[in-house]
Amino acid sequence: MPRKHDDRRTFLKSVGAAATTVGLAGCAGLGGGPERDTFLLGAVTSLSGDLRFGGGVTQRGYDMWADTINREQGGIEIGGDTYEVEVEYADAQSNPSAGADAASQMINDGADALLGPYSSNVTLSVCPIAEQNSIPHITGSAESPQIWQEGYEYSFGTIPTVSIIGNEATSALLNLEPQPESVYVTGVNEPFSEATAVSMRTAAEDAGVTVENYELFPRDTDYTNVVSAAQNADPDLHLHGGHIGSHVDLVSAASQLGYTPNGFLMHYGVNTGSYKEGAGAQAPYTFGATVWIPSVDRSGGVLFDSPQAYADAAEAAYGSAPDYTQAGSTAAGIVYQEALKELNAAPPLSQDDKDELIGILEEIEVNTFYGNVTFEVGGEYHHNNINTQTLLIQLGEDGSPTIVGPEDAATGEPNYPVPAWDER
Amino acid sequence: MVDIGLFTQIVINGLLLGGIYVTIGVGFSLAFGVLEVVDFAVGEYVMVGAFMGAVLAPLFGAEGVFVIPIVLVVFFAVGALIQPLIHHVTTGDRPHPLLMGLVFTFGLATFLRGSVLTIFGPNSQDVPSSLLTGGIEVPGLGTFPVVRTVTAVFGVTGLAVFMYYLYRTRGGMAIRAIAEDRTNARLMGININRYQSIAYGAYAALTGSAGVFIGMTFNASPGMGLQYTAFAFFMVVLAGMGYLPGVIVAGIVLGLTQSFTAVYISGNAVLLVLFAIIYVVLLVSPAGILGKGEWAT
Repeated sequence: MPRKHDDRRTFLKSVGAAATTVGLAGCAGLGGGPERDTFLLGAVTSLSGDLRFGGGVTQRGYDMWADTINREQGGIEIGGDTYEVEVEYADAQSNPSAGADAASQMINDGADALLGPYSSNVTLSVCPIAEQNSIPHITGSAESPQIWQEGYEYSFGTIPTVSIIGNEATSALLNLEPQPESVYVTGVNEPFSEATAVSMRTAAEDAGVTVENYELFPRDTDYTNVVSAAQNADPDLHLHGGHIGSHVDLVSAASQLGYTPNGFLMHYGVNTGSYKEGAGAQAPYTFGATVWIPSVDRSGGVLFDSPQAYADAAEAAYGSAPDYTQAGSTAAGIVYQEALKELNAAPPLSQDDKDELIGILEEIEVNTFYGNVTFEVGGEYHHNNINTQTLLIQLGEDGSPTIVGPEDAATGEPNYPVPAWDER
Repeated sequence: MVDIGLFTQIVINGLLLGGIYVTIGVGFSLAFGVLEVVDFAVGEYVMVGAFMGAVLAPLFGAEGVFVIPIVLVVFFAVGALIQPLIHHVTTGDRPHPLLMGLVFTFGLATFLRGSVLTIFGPNSQDVPSSLLTGGIEVPGLGTFPVVRTVTAVFGVTGLAVFMYYLYRTRGGMAIRAIAEDRTNARLMGININRYQSIAYGAYAALTGSAGVFIGMTFNASPGMGLQYTAFAFFMVVLAGMGYLPGVIVAGIVLGLTQSFTAVYISGNAVLLVLFAIIYVVLLVSPAGILGKGEWAT
């Protein structure tokens, strides 16, 4: 039969051991989690659901960065040692609430920082999670101005807001000869597309061009009615904000009804394979907006020597040409890499390291194949990389894009006014 | 002031859109009338048909319209094979047969959508239709988009063929007898399984072929099915459950309402108006607009 004081001794030993364990765990927590010789980036993106295509684009962009830096440089150099980069994914399921859960999961898994989701809707739910947990978050794909107008301290974006892209692309199109006198603006009724349509309308109004109509529609609307109303207004240009499916439906209905304004400008995704496959014979001559394509004349940069070098590497790795979302996602990784070098702290990062990293990101300027990345601080688009040049592109007969505006960046002449459907 | 040109064009758009819906509603109504199955997979048959058009047409170097005979045969065979499974889960000692049919076809719809997503990815695909591009302009009226006009003609023709088969042939008489009373039909020596398989196969064939036309009109996209399932339900409720001629009226009402609401009220109000109509019909005339659906008997 055990003695009473033996039991008490066992109890005290247990309590002591437990207290020591908790204390050590606490110390480990202060130091940034368990020992690790890699930087752990938690990527939240849509790997399933309606946004799976875009999620895959961001995933390729993030992987492209991690694979390249690990292969070519052995990782990120900190104090003479190199630490590999590990990107761990959590599926946002094309759903904002699932995106928020995925971000929390990444933080619980001890991520040093977050790479952001595809689409503004999901990003808007991830930003508050990054804020609450004081963890750096850079997204390579989210364009709604609302994200940056919220003034989040821990979130950054490499792609400029669509308020800028849509506005500048429209302005470039309005400068083509013969100068348009009227536009018809449509968009899909969701945050990103609405912001796009609003930016297009604003650009037209600022240029003194008549806006015949501005209207938003549900995604699954029948576009013959949209087109009939537009055809009746007879505008010089049709401007449309939406994702790829709505662009395809719009040009299909336009060709069926013989609606041919001098040009269609649509954003996002005109120069993606998805648009070209979906629109088929209707795709050529469409105008679109981008901040990057492989043919951009630019040399030098961290990790990739030029836009074309990046495009070749991406094509070799994934068998498809990258668009600006993929490029912006890779650039997000490159920005982390340069900021971590400057931070000079080995993984895992402590909370102090993460806070210091935010300060570094606010002041950073990185020369990449995608362009110089710097983040606005304190302005209307807080922490958004607005230091890019918007390019007006037009698809050729073979579906390849040519930069046709603004004038100082153009690499080819626009086919404008575009030919009627029955003359193509 | 209403612009007459725009008004007539909206009427054309609405009628042709209604024609597209008729192609889907006919088979759906037949499946419900004969098999007493509310088929949740109807929209996914449309989607798979559209993808077959997108894949087969380039494979044979042909237009989408020329692969329709293949789609008809394949879908008929698949439908005839699936029907015994549906029959199995909706008969016997199982409780709530209608619910069992719904669950089965819901699972089938999920399976079809997931399979297409896995095989083809999330991108839209173009169904070649260069023979049916452009529109026919009728002075004083407006433009008739060729592909939509052909689709509407296909839908109305499909309906006429079904009606002829049901009311002018012995096979049709057998199917109507089954719809009337299965037990009595069996006692009269009708091979129920055989005729139910024929009816479901014909429904699947028509719906899959409608998918090719819809793919040519819009495009083939893995997410397109759900809206057609919703519209098929709308059509059948409006037409009167199982009442085939009502499908044309329902299609026209659906198409015209959608077009006029989008242009003269707001594109955002379309679903609101459509479902307001559904609720009114359900409250005032549950047997459909013409009062001849199953619920009236």
